[in-house]
Amino acid sequence: MLPLFEKARGLRLTETETSILQWLEAHPAEAARMNLSALCAELYTSNATIVRFCQKLGLSGFNDFKYQLRRELQQSEASFFYADTYVDRAIARLEDTVASLDLRQLEEITELLTSGRPLYIYGTNLSALPARYLQIVLNSLDYPSILIEWRNLLNGLVSNMREDAILLVISAKGNAERYLQAFQEARKRGLTTILLTCSAESPLIPYGTIAVCTSDQREEFNNTDVNPRLGFFTVIQILIELAAEKKKPGGDTKKV
Amino acid sequence: MITLHLNDEIIKSLSGPELEILKYAYEHTEDVLGMSIQQVAAGVAYSPTTVLRFCKKLGYSGFAEFKYVLRAQTREKDTPVSTRSGRAFTAGMMLDALSANLQATSKLIREEQLLQTFQYLESGCPIYLWSPGGLTSVAVEYFEKLLLSIGRQEVYLVESVKMFEQILKSLTQKPLLILISTSGKYPTTIRLGKLGRVNGIPILAISPYANNDVADSADISFRFFATQRENLGAEFTSRLPIFFVINMIIQCYLRWRGEGESDASTV
Repeated sequence: MLPLFEKARGLRLTETETSILQWLEAHPAEAARMNLSALCAELYTSNATIVRFCQKLGLSGFNDFKYQLRRELQQSEASFFYADTYVDRAIARLEDTVASLDLRQLEEITELLTSGRPLYIYGTNLSALPARYLQIVLNSLDYPSILIEWRNLLNGLVSNMREDAILLVISAKGNAERYLQAFQEARKRGLTTILLTCSAESPLIPYGTIAVCTSDQREEFNNTDVNPRLGFFTVIQILIELAAEKKKPGGDTKKV
Repeated sequence: MITLHLNDEIIKSLSGPELEILKYAYEHTEDVLGMSIQQVAAGVAYSPTTVLRFCKKLGYSGFAEFKYVLRAQTREKDTPVSTRSGRAFTAGMMLDALSANLQATSKLIREEQLLQTFQYLESGCPIYLWSPGGLTSVAVEYFEKLLLSIGRQEVYLVESVKMFEQILKSLTQKPLLILISTSGKYPTTIRLGKLGRVNGIPILAISPYANNDVADSADISFRFFATQRENLGAEFTSRLPIFFVINMIIQCYLRWRGEGESDASTV
């Protein structure tokens, strides 16, 4: 039972007040949404009676009661499945991710992405999605780029890219060694490489021109990678916003 | 950030201007607390009557009660606003807008919707996702891949309208249809929603906060806040809130099933 009702039961109530309590106990969710006059109509009683009942509970009035009721309802829901808490927490973590990003570095990357130099974006498996997302938006903003989703193609292309090419690699997984060859080759050829990873110990970081590390955590389910990469999407969205902002003065970016 | 108790019924009942007021209240909670109804009305460029109607639709007796609830909520949460003073002005504003959209989106996720969704995920019924192409299809594929990754069987992504219609007509088992729409106005998605509805097929939709036909056809309707944008006809509205909603469905589902409980830190 909700603490509010428990408290009410411990009080000396009049007959009318008892019936109010019974109705409220039976319809807590409804009561939390009703206004005073609707409740009066429902209970065939006066405003004053209900307010007096609320005051007996040590509350200032019906609004206060409703607020207390809502809070307790929320807490009681939270006891078996805490979606609200979980969602709030997810948001808090996302905020932390945003706050920990180096905006200057992202601006630097945006400069590169919008420089007009040949641009290759690589991502495979679940990381192919943030890669594709970035590629499509950059195309919409008139910054063409090439999307690579196959590792073998990446290795082949790195040896043949123009020297002023920019390669952006999105890689979440721990076994980044498989890209080591491509990164070494890129470095040897003097290409500009941007690495987006969520592992601060990635062996690729020393080879990248710029490396961005998000706080996405490794998560597996039955040995399948289910890291949701929300940090990646956030970084990419910020890059997109920065690129769109750059486009603004001369372009036709409008807010609808 | 505040939590208003909004279910989809309430959201559906809100008109365009009222939704603007809701967004305004989410984004300027602190300011609204110190404002009169006239000031809020001026802030959103609607009449005080519209603001009042908005409060009533949310189940409050009037603006005073709405503010009362807001104040009580903020007092309770009292989350410090992150300071970004060291950063460039426009970039800081951009980041604020980005997180405001995400925060507001997170407040539209209701537990009932999640629980309803979980029933379908548990049931083992086939799940069909409609991929409309372009940017939204990235979000659709994200949903598909995550569902498959967490071990859900019978998840099908369909990219052709004709094939989708064919599937809807020749079903032997009732599936769940998943429709994602960034604008809520894409005719093909709307049509598939109506077709599904006519055939009595349950629909889960992810669509914008404003009233739209895609949401209207849905049994479970997730909403998000985003600013619609385009460059010379090429649309690039942020999909981040959609990715967030999908991620929340998946992560909450894993928690609900009691899996990954040991590592509740992953987002």
